[in-house]
Amino acid sequence: MVFKDNREFIEALEKAGELVTIEQEVDWDLEAGAIVRKVCEEKAPSPLMNKIKDYPGHRYLGAPLTSHRKLALAMGLDPDSSIPEIAAEYLKRTNRSPVEPVLIEKEQAPCKENIIIGPEADLFSLPGPMVHDGDGGRYLCTWHFVVTKDPDNGDVNWGMYRQMVYDHKTMTGPLLPFSDGGKVFHGKYKPRGEAMPFATVIGPDPLSAVAASAPSPIPETKFTGMLMEQPVELVKCETVDLEVPAHAEIVIEGEILPDVSLEEGPFGEYTGYRTSPRDLRTVYRVKAITYRNDPITTISNMGVPTDEGQLLRSFTLGLEMDKLLRNQGIPITGVYMLPESTHHLVVVGVKAIYTNIATQIAQAVFGSKLGPWFHMVLVVDDKTDIYNVDEIIHALCTRCHPINGIHVYQGVGTPLYPFLSAAERKKSVGPKVLFDCTFPLDWDPFSEVPSLVSFKNVYPKEIQDKVLNNWEKYGFKPR
Amino acid sequence: MFHYDVFVNSLADLPEEKEVQLALRDLAAGTHKYCYKNVSALVSADQEKYEHKLQIRFGRGQVHEIPYSIKILNPVERIPERWL
Repeated sequence: MVFKDNREFIEALEKAGELVTIEQEVDWDLEAGAIVRKVCEEKAPSPLMNKIKDYPGHRYLGAPLTSHRKLALAMGLDPDSSIPEIAAEYLKRTNRSPVEPVLIEKEQAPCKENIIIGPEADLFSLPGPMVHDGDGGRYLCTWHFVVTKDPDNGDVNWGMYRQMVYDHKTMTGPLLPFSDGGKVFHGKYKPRGEAMPFATVIGPDPLSAVAASAPSPIPETKFTGMLMEQPVELVKCETVDLEVPAHAEIVIEGEILPDVSLEEGPFGEYTGYRTSPRDLRTVYRVKAITYRNDPITTISNMGVPTDEGQLLRSFTLGLEMDKLLRNQGIPITGVYMLPESTHHLVVVGVKAIYTNIATQIAQAVFGSKLGPWFHMVLVVDDKTDIYNVDEIIHALCTRCHPINGIHVYQGVGTPLYPFLSAAERKKSVGPKVLFDCTFPLDWDPFSEVPSLVSFKNVYPKEIQDKVLNNWEKYGFKPR
Repeated sequence: MFHYDVFVNSLADLPEEKEVQLALRDLAAGTHKYCYKNVSALVSADQEKYEHKLQIRFGRGQVHEIPYSIKILNPVERIPERWL
């Protein structure tokens, strides 16, 4: 099952018991944000809010992908699929050949049902929510992506870069120089004094959003097709030379200005803090707004776990690292990032066949383009279940030597790390740490390596099977 | 009831009785609430001195408990004309 738009996905959420429809009026000024925040913290179904104060005809969908159940649904899988099953399906689809998008006519594109160009294109005509009390402004764009194009080679990028409504025609936001969109803006358009065309896509189909959050080297237009297993349908923009998903709810077109910056933030961020201070940031100037009838603005509410940023970034970052390490020939068994770590902790399982392999793993991932987004790597042996938090904590606390097993490196970070000083944040400094939770290979396996005492490790297979087969007969609840 | 608010790093960013450029947020209820206005203005820690009440927030959104008052002198355009 492939969802061509946000609305088909909403139907699937409802059928799976993952949607709550709210018919009473909800205030865009904090109330909607508070509902979505509570949903994130309670791991509750996604709220579809059908009546928004001051904005008749507009709707909100909050927390669209805050759980692995919702992610499984988005991929057309059984919502009860396990995390390893979802990961295996993601890897299967994204290790195939890229799937080119198709361009459709404007008349067939739902996102063109309403077209507002020029002075009438007013950002305050859209229900940008005040997501958290104390935010620097109304964050219209929290579950969305920004489409841009390289002026030299035409490469298209979709990136999730937050955008705050500044005034009727202006949005502001951090376009970090090491993000894919940021590299093109800061490296090419800005030095040339040229404005960079952009199109912000709000309320995309779920797999376009997953693709936009994935740090894959494959262009998102093709990566989405790989995830969908069919081409994504695009349509040309009205005022800029870009293409956007035709079934999106809302599209904002305009230019990113090269020679001015304005205030943005603070904002509740994916780390669960307001870390990056209010500052002068990138300016987006709006030229056109197009939208579907009865448009649905999607809201992600960053804060303490679990929100979309934590869940999806953890999922896709971890699996892109899985590909990277396997491509390097390193004998890993898997990579998992715990969403609760706000994608700061990478757990890598490895069949350690040579000494110091954990250091090689850490240096490979810290040195990759993915490196700025996390700072902790924890390497465990191939017998540890990387998806089992109990096993991970046990490995960390029993196999990591406090002097020999912890290695600290200097690297590149983001201004969003809560533990950095203000000066470190300004300089993109990012200390990194490796926790090597493997026993040294030169220890004698019989006289020096401790033997793990667990159900699956110290009982014969026939005893394990007997206990498992009789589990309910003993009187325990089904496993 | 506040008319505007402003984010500052410290109260030193709000010198009294001196013309200062500020990025204010309009707090009037309705669809345009939180729209930014760039202005030159006079501010005072005496909340009765000027017509409009000003709420102060610090860099991470924390509210300063003591309100100021503000007199807006002129609008200021910070975006270069060629982009308007």
